[in-house]
Amino acid sequence: MSITIKNLSKAYGDQVIFENFNLVLDKNKITGILGPSGSGKSTLLNLCSGLETPDKGTIEGVNFQAISYIFQEPRLLPWRTVRENLRFVLKQKSIKKKGPYEEVINDMLQVVGLGTVGELYPRELSGGMRQRVSIARAFLYPSEILLMDEPFSSLDYALKNKLMTDFLEIWKRNQRTVVFVSHNREEIERLCQDIITFSDKPVKILTREKK
Amino acid sequence: MKISTVLENKQKIKLKKASFKTGVALFWVLLWALAAQWVNSPLVLPSPLETLEGVFTLAGDFQFFVSIGITLLRVFGGVAISMLLGMVLGLVGGLNELFYEIMNPVVTTIKSLPVVSVIILINLWIASGLVPLVVTFLICFPVAWTNVVQGVRSTDPDLLEMAKVYNVSKSKKIRDIYIPSIKPFWVSALMSAIGLGWKVTVTAEVLANALPSVGMNLYYAKIYLETNLLFSWTLVIVICSYVIEKVTLYFIRRSRRGEVD
Repeated sequence: MSITIKNLSKAYGDQVIFENFNLVLDKNKITGILGPSGSGKSTLLNLCSGLETPDKGTIEGVNFQAISYIFQEPRLLPWRTVRENLRFVLKQKSIKKKGPYEEVINDMLQVVGLGTVGELYPRELSGGMRQRVSIARAFLYPSEILLMDEPFSSLDYALKNKLMTDFLEIWKRNQRTVVFVSHNREEIERLCQDIITFSDKPVKILTREKK
Repeated sequence: MKISTVLENKQKIKLKKASFKTGVALFWVLLWALAAQWVNSPLVLPSPLETLEGVFTLAGDFQFFVSIGITLLRVFGGVAISMLLGMVLGLVGGLNELFYEIMNPVVTTIKSLPVVSVIILINLWIASGLVPLVVTFLICFPVAWTNVVQGVRSTDPDLLEMAKVYNVSKSKKIRDIYIPSIKPFWVSALMSAIGLGWKVTVTAEVLANALPSVGMNLYYAKIYLETNLLFSWTLVIVICSYVIEKVTLYFIRRSRRGEVD
C-alpha cells in the first residue's frame, strides 16, 4: 500500500511547516526527499512514524505498528550487546535470553557484515559499525515502511559509499517502502527511485523525478 | 606496547597509590599519637595504641560481635528498605507527574525534619529496637527517591523515541531503558545511604536505648568514663563502615563489568 498524505498541516507556534500539503509515496520503492536543513524533512518522518501528530489532515496507508526508523545517530542501548540491541525490537520478553529469533538475528548480522561482533557493546564498535547495527535492527523488525533520517551524514566518504551499497543489497532482499530524507543530492540519487525536492517552510514540492 | 608491560605499569601505579594512602593514614595516626602524648590523659584523649588495645579487649567478649551484628542488621535493613522503595516509588514518580506531586511534599517534609526529633517521635510509637531501622529508612529514603526521580528524568529521550517507533512494550522499556539509566543515580544514592545509615543508626540506638547495639555500648563507655573504649567503639564503626563501602563498591563494579561507564 502506498502512503497518501492528504491536506497535512503542522506548525510549531508561529512557524508553519506544512500547510494543506499533499503527497503520495509509492509502495516498495525508495523515495528520497531533498531539501535544505530545517525545511521539514524530519518533521515529515516524525509525522509518518507517529512520533508527532498532524494539526490537520491525514496520513493514510501507514500501519504504526509496522514502521522501522534509521535515525541520524544509531540510538543503540549502550548497556546492551549488539545482539541484545537487535532482540530489543523483537517481540520477546527478555532481551538477555535466547529466543526463537536467534537464527534470523544471526543471518541479519551476517548480511550487515557484523557476524563476529554480536556479543560486543556499542562503545566497542566504530561509528560505521554502530550504524550498521541500526540498519540491521530496522530490517529485522517486521515493518512495511522504513524511514531514514540522514543516517549516513556523519560518516566519512568511503564508509558512506560502502554502507549505501550494503543498504541497497539488503533492501533488495527485504523490500519495503522506504522514505529517505537528506540534504545531500549524491546520496539521494544513489539510493532512490523517486526523488522529491522540498522548498523551505511552509513546504512545497519543487520537483519530482521518477527513475 | 606489550600487554604485559601495560599490566606491570598499572600494577606499579596501583602500588604507588596504595603506599601514598597508607602514608597519609600513618601521618594522621602519628598526629593523633602526638596529640595524645601532649594531652597526657587517656581520660581525655587515649592514644592510638590504647584505642587498639581496647578493640582487642572488646573482641574478647562474644557480646561485642552480637552488638555489631545487630547494628549491622539495622543499617542493612534500613538502607535496603529505603533503596528498594526509593527505586520503585522513584520510578513511578519519575514516570507519573501526579504521583510525583503527591509524594514530593511528604519526601520534602521528611528531608527537613531534624534527625533527633524523628528519633524521639518514633521512639514514642514503636519498640526501641526497631527505632534505628525506621529512622535509617526515613533518612535514607528521600536520598534514594530524589536520585531515582532524577535518573528517570535524565533518561535519553532519543532511546525512548526509538523504543516508541519500534513498539517496545512498557515493561521492556522499564527493564532495558529506564532501569539502566537510573542505575548510576541509584548507585550514588546507595553509597550516600550507606554512609548516612551508619551515622543515623548509631545515633538512634543511643537516643532510643536500643539493646544490644554499638550505639548503647558507646553510650555506656561515655557514662562510665571509659574514653579508650569510646574511641575503640568509634574505631570499630569506622572500620565496619569502610569495609561495607568497599564491599558494596566491589559488587557494583562487578555488576557493571563490560557495560558502558
